[in-house]
Amino acid sequence: MIEVKDVTKKFGRKTVLKGVNFTAEKGKITCLIGINGVGKTTVMKAIMNLTPIDGGEILINGEKIHKGSYEKITFIPDTITMLPQMKIKEAFTFMADFYDSWNQKRAEELLEFFRLKETDRISELSKGNTAKVNLILGLALDVDYVLMDEPFSGIDIFSREQIAEVFTSHLIEDRGVIITTHEINDIEHLIDKAVLLDNGVVLKEFDTEEMRENEGKSVIDVMREVYRG
Amino acid sequence: MNRFLKLVNFEFTRFWKLYLVLIGVTILFQVVGIIVESQMYLSRANKAIYEELVSVSDFISQYGKMSFYQFASTGWFIGTMMFCAATLLIYVFFIWYRDWFGKNTFSYRLLVLPTARLNIYLAKATTILLFVLGLLAVQLVLLPVESKVLQWLVPDEFRHDLSIEEMTNLYYLELLYPSAFIDFILYYGTGMAAVCVVFTAILFERSYRLKGIFMGIFYVAASLFIVIAPLLVNEFLLDNYFFENELFYMVIGAGLLVWAAAIWLGNYLLNRKIRV
Repeated sequence: MIEVKDVTKKFGRKTVLKGVNFTAEKGKITCLIGINGVGKTTVMKAIMNLTPIDGGEILINGEKIHKGSYEKITFIPDTITMLPQMKIKEAFTFMADFYDSWNQKRAEELLEFFRLKETDRISELSKGNTAKVNLILGLALDVDYVLMDEPFSGIDIFSREQIAEVFTSHLIEDRGVIITTHEINDIEHLIDKAVLLDNGVVLKEFDTEEMRENEGKSVIDVMREVYRG
Repeated sequence: MNRFLKLVNFEFTRFWKLYLVLIGVTILFQVVGIIVESQMYLSRANKAIYEELVSVSDFISQYGKMSFYQFASTGWFIGTMMFCAATLLIYVFFIWYRDWFGKNTFSYRLLVLPTARLNIYLAKATTILLFVLGLLAVQLVLLPVESKVLQWLVPDEFRHDLSIEEMTNLYYLELLYPSAFIDFILYYGTGMAAVCVVFTAILFERSYRLKGIFMGIFYVAASLFIVIAPLLVNEFLLDNYFFENELFYMVIGAGLLVWAAAIWLGNYLLNRKIRV
């Protein structure tokens, strides 16, 4: 389980996270929802120790993050994490060199699914295909948790559909996923848990299935209630 | 291969093409330079001897014999060395900043590799050292080649041959190729300590951004002060109480302290403060 406990973060005088609390479990898709600038990406970076926090604690399977944690958790930001001059094949070699959890078979499976070629150079790919490569690099690791930051941001509808398909496939099964988005429509039906963030605080955290069954509300309905008041 | 060596290999490969260009430029300019300088010397000799009817011995006493010593003071030689030094100096900064800026954000990947973050720091420092030593080796191989070219172009009576040892004892080359091993360790150890201090200053900037620039500058100044502190204390407070060799060991100790502190601080910043 990923536990984010009372996390605070300041940038200069501005406090962007004001005691954020939530948990994300293995085998479930947790979605951090909020408009741009509410601190979603900062939370993701804080979980990966890519930005220091000023207060609180983040635990992954009960432990603070350490070098070994990166074999258990991966982050897929909305920007490519490989050198653009690399071919996809070279990026795969790099990952295989450094990660014991790299699953080459799965990488090739994903490559085929997204109809990309190993010989493609990253810098020559469209934004949608670059996002797919990023996704492959993250999902081809045999990790417990996958963090995705705005995976649908700025890409065409067909690429979105393909990426959304991944969420219902065996590639995600049994993993814990934390995804951030401000475009909830694409994945509303896929998420298990929603965490609504605004102005650096968690406004509401709920199980989407329970919400649908007990109150008959979709995630978007709850968002309207919470954000519009 | 462990992850540290993989990182060194990766960092080295990233600069490899540019590095080959650097080596190519060095070879080209120095070989062309020695040909041009030899031809200029010979044409001056020809003009003096055949047109102005100066005797060979008078010409030599006036202009001296052509040797590597003369070539080493020309722009062809010094220029290429300065160019290589400047490129590597810029690379000390570039090796970090290219991972944060530009089209790619490789820092995202680099910092989530399942290895101690200190390895990233040490791999980058090792890469710089390898580049420096590589260029030194190329230059060392070039010296006898240039000497040979000189022998082909300039007749014996106008030429003064130098051995490799004599060549490396000239001017600033003595600094690059110290004759004693302990000096080699000392010079290059000082260089690497300086590289580590700059690396840590860069990490201050990457961790605290604008505030980090000032912290970095202060940190570099403080490191420098610590290294020369024994000299200052001896000069201004103790009225030259210590012997020179005692001072030397104190400066070495202070230098080692600064080097260790740079690595410790770099590790701390990479693990606790760095921002992507």
